[in-house]
Amino acid sequence: MDIKITEELDNTLKDNGFKKEEIQELIANAEASGTKLKARDGNVTIAKGGSDNLTVYAVYSPDELLDVYAHKMNILGLTGGELNEIDYDDASEWACAKCGEIALERNVDMTYMGVTRPGPGLVCPKCDEFYVSDGVAKTLKTAEAILEEKRA
Amino acid sequence: MPAKDYAPIDQNWLEEAGSLWTTPWVDKPSDRVIVDPIILSHAASLFRKNAGYFYQNPDEAIRMVCHACELYDVTPVGHYLYADYWGQDYGAEIKVQTNSPPGITKRPIKTAEDVDNFEVLDVDELTKGPTLTTHYKALDTCKEEFPHMFAPITQLGGTMEVATNWAAIEDVFMWMITEPELVDKLCVKAGDHMVNACKATSERYGANVMITGSVIASGDLMDTEQIKRFGFQPVSRAVRKVLNSGAGPGIYYHLCGNHTDDFEMWKNAPMSPFTIVQIGYDGQNIFPTSKLVEHFGDRCTCFGTVDTKLIDRGTPAQVYEQAKEQVTAGKDSPRGFILGTACECPTNAPPVNVHALVKAAKDHGKYEKF
Repeated sequence: MDIKITEELDNTLKDNGFKKEEIQELIANAEASGTKLKARDGNVTIAKGGSDNLTVYAVYSPDELLDVYAHKMNILGLTGGELNEIDYDDASEWACAKCGEIALERNVDMTYMGVTRPGPGLVCPKCDEFYVSDGVAKTLKTAEAILEEKRA
Repeated sequence: MPAKDYAPIDQNWLEEAGSLWTTPWVDKPSDRVIVDPIILSHAASLFRKNAGYFYQNPDEAIRMVCHACELYDVTPVGHYLYADYWGQDYGAEIKVQTNSPPGITKRPIKTAEDVDNFEVLDVDELTKGPTLTTHYKALDTCKEEFPHMFAPITQLGGTMEVATNWAAIEDVFMWMITEPELVDKLCVKAGDHMVNACKATSERYGANVMITGSVIASGDLMDTEQIKRFGFQPVSRAVRKVLNSGAGPGIYYHLCGNHTDDFEMWKNAPMSPFTIVQIGYDGQNIFPTSKLVEHFGDRCTCFGTVDTKLIDRGTPAQVYEQAKEQVTAGKDSPRGFILGTACECPTNAPPVNVHALVKAAKDHGKYEKF
């Protein structure tokens, strides 16, 4: 998949230690496997990749990379262990590209530096895949910084 | 009283208290449970000042709170807030009172049409408004003079609290029966306001700790379906928006009042890695910490409570006994525990009762899990 990266975003990638080739590979893997989120009312996709230590997300349209973000907290699974009925509308703006289910905004357990706590995730109820939004990644960055300072 | 008139804070105490305060959030071992009696205008009484003086002088208020924290050996965090936030920004009149927090006397929303026409202020407008100007004066003083006791707190309350600071509570309750869709609209606007207030704090300080939850929306005043519709659901939506806009990470769910019939729904409220849940009462009784830990202990930090009526009017022995029971049940909660009061420490509570609360944590709150 040939994807355009603006100079501005390219600079942001460099500033944050992301390699363009890694992001392109991440997108290619998501396109091949179908493990990605599609916007319910548009042509924007979120793909994810990385390792236990860093989860990286690429947000892209069919021809352009729009954003890249990451978090260090490792998602373990649903908080409470099960996808129970809840009393509010938890449907997100995203759908799982693989199964078509609407991704739900649910609490997921996240672990970092030996500490496990909940955080707001995007959950495919069928495929058991977990994602976070760019805004939540910003919130998690603050949380990670606090854990790094206090657990050091 | 200017800063120079206070004795210096003992840095050894501050380091130790900071360590105790860290434990519930990041599982870092320390000796015992930390205590947070939610000290606000009670600090003023220790300096022979009244609540009116406290709230009219936010910089001094923070100094008094921080020094009260040292005096009592409790959570080293400078608080400044009161319940009737956010009315003035939208045209409400507020009355400063000698012996209680400021109270709204005239609200901007009087009719159903007012609800429809009501426009939520944006982040810049809120930042320049009277509520945050005063609030940030307190927080800025804390950051400058007590940097290790600073937390970027935003006092929100829940959607029903914000709504009833905009419209009279009797009108809102009448509309809940006659025009519930109108209250839905009001709560959506309250939620949008909460998001903007959190963004304002996050932009100013780089992080935000929101105090939200459900106080008016409790079993004392509303049925479970009403609490769900006008409290839990719009609050949850607002908290999600806050987290999705990067304006976290702290969430403090303050469920004051009786939550016997609705507390379980809050298990699924949006949470961040720094979430705390405090529930005041189970019927007429203090909410048992054993029940709190059973339902929330594997999710977030639990805040066990001692009845504020006891803190205000009980004997030290009664306070000690209830605190002992609560701290024993909560200290080894899997995701952290704090002992405190069901709501704000009453302004004129006897200091010996606050001391009894802390003493119980020292005597019975030693950690076994580390």
